[in-house]
Amino acid sequence: MTITTFDKNMSAVAFAEAGEHDTARRILGEKATRRHGKSPAPAAKSKPHLKTVIFGTMSLSAYYLLFTNEKLVTEIFTMGGWRWMYPVGAAFFFSFIHGAFASNLLGALGIEAKK
Amino acid sequence: MKKLLLILMFALLPLSLSAHSALAAGDGPSKDMLKGIITEVNSAERTVLFEKDGTKELVTLALNEKMEPEDIAMNQKVLINLDKHAEAGNVMKDISVMFMDMTASKLIALLVIGAVGGLLSGFIGSGGAFVMTPAMMSLGVPGAVAVASNMCHKFPKAMVGAYKRWKYGQADIKLGLVMAVTAVIGVQIGIKIQKYILNQFGGAGSNLYISAVFMVVLVFVGGYVFFDAWKLASGGGKETVSKLALRMQKIQLAPMMHFKTAKVTISAWITIPVGLLTGMLAATIAVGGFVGVPGMIYVIGASAVVASATELIIAFVMGAWGSVQWGLSGLIDIRLALLLLATSLIGVQLGALGTTYVKDYIIKVVMATTMLIVAVSRGVKIPGYLIDLELMRPIQENTLALLEGISFWSLVAALGSAALIIIVAMIKGMTADSRSKKAVLGVSNG
Repeated sequence: MTITTFDKNMSAVAFAEAGEHDTARRILGEKATRRHGKSPAPAAKSKPHLKTVIFGTMSLSAYYLLFTNEKLVTEIFTMGGWRWMYPVGAAFFFSFIHGAFASNLLGALGIEAKK
Repeated sequence: MKKLLLILMFALLPLSLSAHSALAAGDGPSKDMLKGIITEVNSAERTVLFEKDGTKELVTLALNEKMEPEDIAMNQKVLINLDKHAEAGNVMKDISVMFMDMTASKLIALLVIGAVGGLLSGFIGSGGAFVMTPAMMSLGVPGAVAVASNMCHKFPKAMVGAYKRWKYGQADIKLGLVMAVTAVIGVQIGIKIQKYILNQFGGAGSNLYISAVFMVVLVFVGGYVFFDAWKLASGGGKETVSKLALRMQKIQLAPMMHFKTAKVTISAWITIPVGLLTGMLAATIAVGGFVGVPGMIYVIGASAVVASATELIIAFVMGAWGSVQWGLSGLIDIRLALLLLATSLIGVQLGALGTTYVKDYIIKVVMATTMLIVAVSRGVKIPGYLIDLELMRPIQENTLALLEGISFWSLVAALGSAALIIIVAMIKGMTADSRSKKAVLGVSNG
């Protein structure tokens, strides 16, 4: 069952009439704060600079690690057989962290999908 | 016209089975390919001692008449193709160093190709493969490694793109999975028959044939998509379901399938052939999306936005499956895959969000433009193949070089023009959007 604004107002009135002013205020206040919580949309929309930096650093370090050990990595990753998991796993791993970086980067630059 | 398109698609079914090696499809390398290290070169006998990767088994291989003992790279991982037709066994046909040295210019080239390929992929659902593999090969990567590494970069890119477009409510997961499964089967069938035909008729005409198939598909399908997009653009851009798709949707043949996002209810007997054909074409020309997306639009009846988004799911499944195959053979150069991913993961998300700002027909325009320019790139290669087959009198060396140049630059033009259309359309869409938002704000405030 959903509680409508009307229901809320009516229960607040009922509490107020019974002398429970604080409860009444809380009922209305809750709604007010909730609306208040929603209204600063710009805050929720704030650009994900921190996330971009965190994922960017993670991604960059992963790239750095891989390329400083490229001889070892290419050797192990191309042994064939069950080691297919290495390149495929690495591709998944990078797509998550680097993908998250890319997504946050676009957000930080203010490029977002049409709502 | 649409009937013709369908007939062409079905006619291509047997055609696409012939020609070309299995390399394009992700079925793994041929059995005549060896991977390992050369430990010793015997100049007098013109032989080398080769240690096979994994098993450490030692084999003696003979150089062919064109090879020089001093050119052989030792103690480096190499790929060797054996000459199948040599009378004596174990004669090398060619040898290539598996991992190229990464220089700054190669690195930048890979990043640029990745970005443009990603943008295209996020926008039209496919793109990039037809240029990435040849581009990597021109950087000195052996063919099999280029195909394997492209495959390994394709599936994470498609996954990220598919996820984004699913979030925008554009990707139909069920349709994507049904198409992907049938496409994987299509690839298998394609390769099986290709191998049979290759054994029967040899590989001589396969390059010519593949280019011809490429040309016919690209010119015909690309031309039709372009015509449709032009019609839509001049008619205000309102997309309608094609008459062919409406007719197909009327066929009540069990099992019927309902695709929620695509808003289509259609018999499985219609989706299966489209999926199979996508796989078969992927096995032949390496770009299944060029038939998968138009197939979903004109035969199944999805919108261009949904079709291009759904193609990303197909690309993910096929790419992941292909990567495992190539990984089993140990041919993926992860450095190449990850460098392409570095920029293509940004490109694909930019392309994906770009679709939310543009009219549906822009996707068709980009797709058709790419297909038609790529057709030119393939077409100019035909004289070269004809000469190889001695079906045409040799032409001057510099004319051939000119044709090669045209082929390469038309690929660059295809990517460049597609990227340009996407970016311009996106900026226009974004500006219009922010202007209308400001107008709304103005009204509500004033």
